[in-house]
Amino acid sequence: MSATQIRFFTLWRREINRFMKIKKQTIGAPLLETFLYISVFGAALGSRIDQLQGIDYVIFVIPGLIMMAWAINSFSNNASSILQQKFQGAIQDQLSSPASPLELLLAFSLGGFMRGFVVAVLTFTAASFLVDLPVEHILVLIPALFLVGFFFAQVGVLIGIRAEQFDDVAIAQTFVLTPLIFLGGVFYSADLLPEPFQTLTHFNPVYYMINLVRYGFLDVTEASIAFSLLALAAATAALFAFNLRLFVTGYKLRA
Amino acid sequence: MSAHSDNGSGLPAPANALQIENLIKRYPTGVEALRGVSVDIEPGEFFGLLGPNGAGKSTLIHCATGLAQPTAGSIQVFGHDAIDNYGEARQAVGLAPQELNLDWFLTVAETLDYHAGYFGMPKRERRERAAELIETFSLGDKRDERTRTLSGGMKRRLILARALMHRPRLLILDEPTAGVDIELRLELWQYVQRINAEGTTILLTTHYLEEAEQLCDKIAFITDGQIAAQGSTAELAGNYGVANLEDAYLALVGRNELSRSRVEEVVT
Repeated sequence: MSATQIRFFTLWRREINRFMKIKKQTIGAPLLETFLYISVFGAALGSRIDQLQGIDYVIFVIPGLIMMAWAINSFSNNASSILQQKFQGAIQDQLSSPASPLELLLAFSLGGFMRGFVVAVLTFTAASFLVDLPVEHILVLIPALFLVGFFFAQVGVLIGIRAEQFDDVAIAQTFVLTPLIFLGGVFYSADLLPEPFQTLTHFNPVYYMINLVRYGFLDVTEASIAFSLLALAAATAALFAFNLRLFVTGYKLRA
Repeated sequence: MSAHSDNGSGLPAPANALQIENLIKRYPTGVEALRGVSVDIEPGEFFGLLGPNGAGKSTLIHCATGLAQPTAGSIQVFGHDAIDNYGEARQAVGLAPQELNLDWFLTVAETLDYHAGYFGMPKRERRERAAELIETFSLGDKRDERTRTLSGGMKRRLILARALMHRPRLLILDEPTAGVDIELRLELWQYVQRINAEGTTILLTTHYLEEAEQLCDKIAFITDGQIAAQGSTAELAGNYGVANLEDAYLALVGRNELSRSRVEEVVT
């Protein structure tokens, strides 16, 4: 391995190591949470709810839950990791190394991305044992989930850099991300909503992400797949470019 | 890119270990921490940077290591521009900061291993180097402990070991002996004198004048973001027309009345 490869791999390894050391909190808790949702919304309520778009309710909600798990874990891992290291001053060790802004941004991004990936894969595997979960369009599903994970990894990096206290991360998650994800239609089809909420949902970017993932698993969608994929890719690229700018200028990282 | 030296490149004269010219650092708040600082540190030199709290010592160090961004001026580390060619410049520097900025999640061994990884050191070399420094700094018993559980002195040892992991040619020690016990201070002095003799350039900031006097070949006084004087201990004392470094320092900060030689005169 070249010096650059060793450096990047080490930066990334550090991020993975951080969440693996506290895996009860970083992997165990989100898994439990996802299964509580599946039990309550799927198994308990699901028996009272008719099929949605021709799909059993419990199966209908699982793709959205897998996506939500990946998104929230990507976000909260990166936001916490960066803030924590800023708080301890430990981030100076990476910042005073020869690592480039791009290497730093990618390594921080991929930490949360991997945690989301692990939780999503475990959720998928366990769900597959419990119910018959189809995978209809894997070529849409894989890029869609990767883009969602990477998008929220970028949001996490952005909030982590901007945050000055742990409250700032909690506020972003509780008051912005969770409502957007819930109202994007994880637990229902937007068709069921009365106006103006049905139209408003179309302004929620998470709505398109859920549709992509649901299409990938179940072959049902309310939005254009091509449009959703392109918009998500564009938004992810824009956010990545914005974060890279922050790393290049040293915003809130280098005095 | 080679992680190591660029020896044998046939350069006419060896570049200075650290060459700072007209460095200005203005923070967004408007505070001007450095107001046109110029410092040259030759390869192999043991250089002391002394000055009162808030004089700009740490800001200067942060500018040289990429932790702060200079407003104007230039910084070269062994001929590499610290901004345009930061990779090469930072590769050459080991920083032991004043704050105990360790990652609580990592163990002692991981702290050393990751640091060297950030500097591109291969695994086998990292293992060997970490074992060597763990031994040198008596961290063996704590090897697999998380850094959060270490005592202040142990944290200080680890920060020094970490700075040395990638075999820097310029070692920057920002108040390394603040709050450490006598044994560690003496151990540290011995160690840095040894690696200095072996060729490592050292930049030390300290409030202990006897430390600077004993260790440093050359000393610069910094106050209010400017270099007030620099030279050997004798030159500085001569500059201020006093007998020793402490009195020169007191003259610098305008507190001659605190001079111990003067107190002795008054008492006798």
